Amino acid sequence: MPDKPSDLVQGTLDMLILKTLSLQPMHGYGISVRIEQISKDVFRPNAGSLFLAIQRLERDGLIDGEWKPTENNRRARYYTLTAKGRKRLDTETREWGRQAAAIARILEAL
Amino acid sequence: MSLLRNIATGLRSLVRRNKVNRELDEELSAYLEMAAVEKMKLGMSRKEALRAVRLEQGTPELTREVVRSGSWESVVENCWRDLRFAARMLRKAPGFTAVAVLTLALGIGANTAIFSLLNAVMLKTIPVSRPAQLVILRWSAHSRPQNLGTSSYGDCLWVPGAIQSCSFSFPMYKALLAHTDTFSSVLAMADAGQLDLSGNGPASMVGGELVSGNYFEALGVSSALGRTIRPSDDRAGAPAVVVLNFGYWQRAFGGAADVIARTVRLNGSPFTIAGVIDPRFTRLTPGKSHDLWIPLSQAASVRPSWNEQRRHVDEPTNWWLAIIGRLKPEVSLAQAQAATNLAFRNEALHGANPVFKDADDPQVALLPAQKGLVGIRQYYDQPIYILSAAVAIILVIVCANLAALLLARATAREKEMAVRLALGAGKGQIIQQLLTESLLLSFAGAALGILFADWSAQALAAFISRNAYSTLFIDTRPDARVLAFAVVVTLLTGILFGLAPAFRGSRINVGPALKDSYGGSTAAPKATGRRIGLGSCLVVAQVALSVVVLVGAGLLVRTLTNLRKVNPGFDTHNVLLFGINPTLAGYKVETIQTLYRELQARFASVPGVISATYSSDTLLSDGLWTSEVHIEGQPKDSTIRTDMLAVGPEFFETMRLPLVGGRTFSNSDLQSERAVAVVNRTFAQRFLGGKNPLGVRLGGTTPSDNKIEREIVGIVGDAKYDNLRKSVEPTAYVPLQEGAAYFAIRTSTQAEALVPTVRQIVASFDENLPLFKVTTQTETIDRLLFNERLVAQLSSVFGGLALVLACVGLYGLLSYEVARRTREIGIRTALGAQRREIFRLVLRQGLTLTIFGAVVGITAAIGVTRYLGSLLYGVAATDPLTFVTIALTLLTVALLAGYIPSRRAMRVDPMVALRYE
Repeated sequence: MPDKPSDLVQGTLDMLILKTLSLQPMHGYGISVRIEQISKDVFRPNAGSLFLAIQRLERDGLIDGEWKPTENNRRARYYTLTAKGRKRLDTETREWGRQAAAIARILEAL
Repeated sequence: MSLLRNIATGLRSLVRRNKVNRELDEELSAYLEMAAVEKMKLGMSRKEALRAVRLEQGTPELTREVVRSGSWESVVENCWRDLRFAARMLRKAPGFTAVAVLTLALGIGANTAIFSLLNAVMLKTIPVSRPAQLVILRWSAHSRPQNLGTSSYGDCLWVPGAIQSCSFSFPMYKALLAHTDTFSSVLAMADAGQLDLSGNGPASMVGGELVSGNYFEALGVSSALGRTIRPSDDRAGAPAVVVLNFGYWQRAFGGAADVIARTVRLNGSPFTIAGVIDPRFTRLTPGKSHDLWIPLSQAASVRPSWNEQRRHVDEPTNWWLAIIGRLKPEVSLAQAQAATNLAFRNEALHGANPVFKDADDPQVALLPAQKGLVGIRQYYDQPIYILSAAVAIILVIVCANLAALLLARATAREKEMAVRLALGAGKGQIIQQLLTESLLLSFAGAALGILFADWSAQALAAFISRNAYSTLFIDTRPDARVLAFAVVVTLLTGILFGLAPAFRGSRINVGPALKDSYGGSTAAPKATGRRIGLGSCLVVAQVALSVVVLVGAGLLVRTLTNLRKVNPGFDTHNVLLFGINPTLAGYKVETIQTLYRELQARFASVPGVISATYSSDTLLSDGLWTSEVHIEGQPKDSTIRTDMLAVGPEFFETMRLPLVGGRTFSNSDLQSERAVAVVNRTFAQRFLGGKNPLGVRLGGTTPSDNKIEREIVGIVGDAKYDNLRKSVEPTAYVPLQEGAAYFAIRTSTQAEALVPTVRQIVASFDENLPLFKVTTQTETIDRLLFNERLVAQLSSVFGGLALVLACVGLYGLLSYEVARRTREIGIRTALGAQRREIFRLVLRQGLTLTIFGAVVGITAAIGVTRYLGSLLYGVAATDPLTFVTIALTLLTVALLAGYIPSRRAMRVDPMVALRYE
């Protein structure tokens, strides 16, 4: 039995979504599955928080949504990273790296 | 960028809510479908897969709510939903809603009305361009040069005893004009005095202003028709032009466009009408107005008295101009002050014709025009403040009243709230919902109240204007400030009266409230106890506040009655008064005497007229002439100050001023060289120490007066001169020789009925002799007591309103109590309580609250009424009679309010009451 999924650190879901979309445009379920797979089931965002974050990112102009048909002949909204989103991802990744390294240093020192 | 985008998307989703909702649903269901398909790949049946997904993700409805709640427009939507719900709830209780909206309309409307008036009289800026740059000049000095003549014109605040004025001489104006590095422009204005306007139908008396040529240009005031006065009009020898006030043009010329280039005569001199001024500008002083404006250079042609006295407009000792400067944007007030003071002192002390001596230490100050030009503010500020306080209290009473109503309603709605709480509504949501309801009520009341406010503010302004002798311009049209005031007051009101009931609503104990079968009657006794506490507090507050308003109103009404009862010393009934000024129509001193005598004879012969006379001023119209007089036999050069009035023949007989000793003026006194005087009793007592005044001679102090030696020939009773509040001062009556005159005609019937006859008679003598200030003696007293009448009447209305509101509050509380305690009363009756005891039980509660409220109110009133101070007359701010009367009235009315619920309690049938179970 895998461990129970962890709660995400506040605000990191946005970054994860941006990162996921930096590879290719995806629909909501795709984003969710990708995060689940890559994190090896540590993070499993539910639909509510996922779409809440997507709505926020879209309104901030970091991603763009577009209706497209899916493989099984339904319609889904596919999201693409915008230039602004890519820039935000870069800064957030860098900032995260800095913070994670700092936290790691503190944890090791004690 | 992203903010704009956020707002745009939000608005789109608000406007096309269905489409956005559908899209979100579709996206969510696609998500869930994909998740289910994934699970089916692992071998689950479709049904199992869908169930598993639902377990993992929660219901789609919940998810949708979560997502939607993240956007700002959902807040708007929630408010909108609350609003619609609130409107539905209010529609369901039309009686309650109507009462609440009406009370609020009264409360908010009265406050908005009084604020509109306050705004119009005190806050509205002068209607010129960049008014903040304008300053008015005022000089002050340690002592006043003997030969200096100043004008009270300019609307500067008059400070008793201070040697200061806002009037300057023409040479001084010229000297200041040269100071171009401080001011971008310097303008001058002066009162044109009374102007006899002929050439437009029957001659009429108008008020005008003399202004420098740059006046309109520098103020940024334009014309509505034709042109304004230009600098070229203000040069010596320029053709005489006049520009008209818009309102005056409408009244006197019917708004005819062809007035331009027409000629009218002002005090006999021809003037060409050049234009009509923008309706927003009536005078630089807020609230006041002029009928017309003429260039300064025409001063001599409209002021015949100056020509006679050989006073010239450019005389250094003739200080008659008010000066306004427009500061350059880069110059500060302090810099301008220093520079102007230097220039002023230079001219006043070391100029070509120095007026002041070094020891006088004259100084000039620059006052911001908005503050310096006090205008009508100084007459009406006190009544307006009093009325503002009264309406503010009314609004608080309204709030207390509604809070109590809503509390009672909250009890009735306990179950509804309990159901909501049980279904998962948060306390915040309940509070928000209930506050939305009270705010909706408040705004509905305000919407109605503002209509009422606009109407009553206009009525008030008209009432004030009607009582002034000169035309006022009180612009009560609501502006941004009034609207902001109304919105803020409405919001505060809604929150104030809604807050307590809202919190009460959110604190319901769900279990008992839902189990309870009958209203809230058996709800936890502790909670019930608290609720009565709050309801009773609200009633006590209402009673206490209404006592404050009522006591204030009572004191003001007593003041008015006291002033009305003052004996003025003469008979004020059936006296017609009006003024004429033949000097302005070109009459010389000798012909004026004859004219007055002939007019008097004609008036006296009209049927219904008992007698007729004239004097230099009408009594009790706030006009006063005082003079320094030397009394024979007292130390040389010593003078006393006495009130003076110049009168025509039969003055004492017509006014019914009793003769105490000696004789009144005879016709020969008015013509002969031998100067005589009649003094009043106070004069004789104060200055002559009971010595027989007859035969005593009075001398003047000014060089021209010194020659006149008047012999006292009679003593008359004391009579009030300029107003009713002042005690009678020593007064000397002398024969009227020159100038304008006010006729007084005593009739045996209604004095007003004589006006057409009188006009006809005067016109038959001379068509160009307009009557002015046509009124009756009783009307002059009404005008004199205008402020007192205004505050007494309005505060009585407000006091009555407060009383009604407090009683409705008491009635509401007692009715609610009786309804709530029906079962208890039933049990008491069943156990043998007498009906009379039940009746007393309820009535006692009402009386206790009232007495408690009255005590609190009286204590508060004692602390507050002293602010009425200077407005009161013949009654102390803590007048026991007023307080006792108010307390008794209140108790009586409270008994009436308590009677109905008490009777209802008495009639409770124990069988019916107990069957409720």
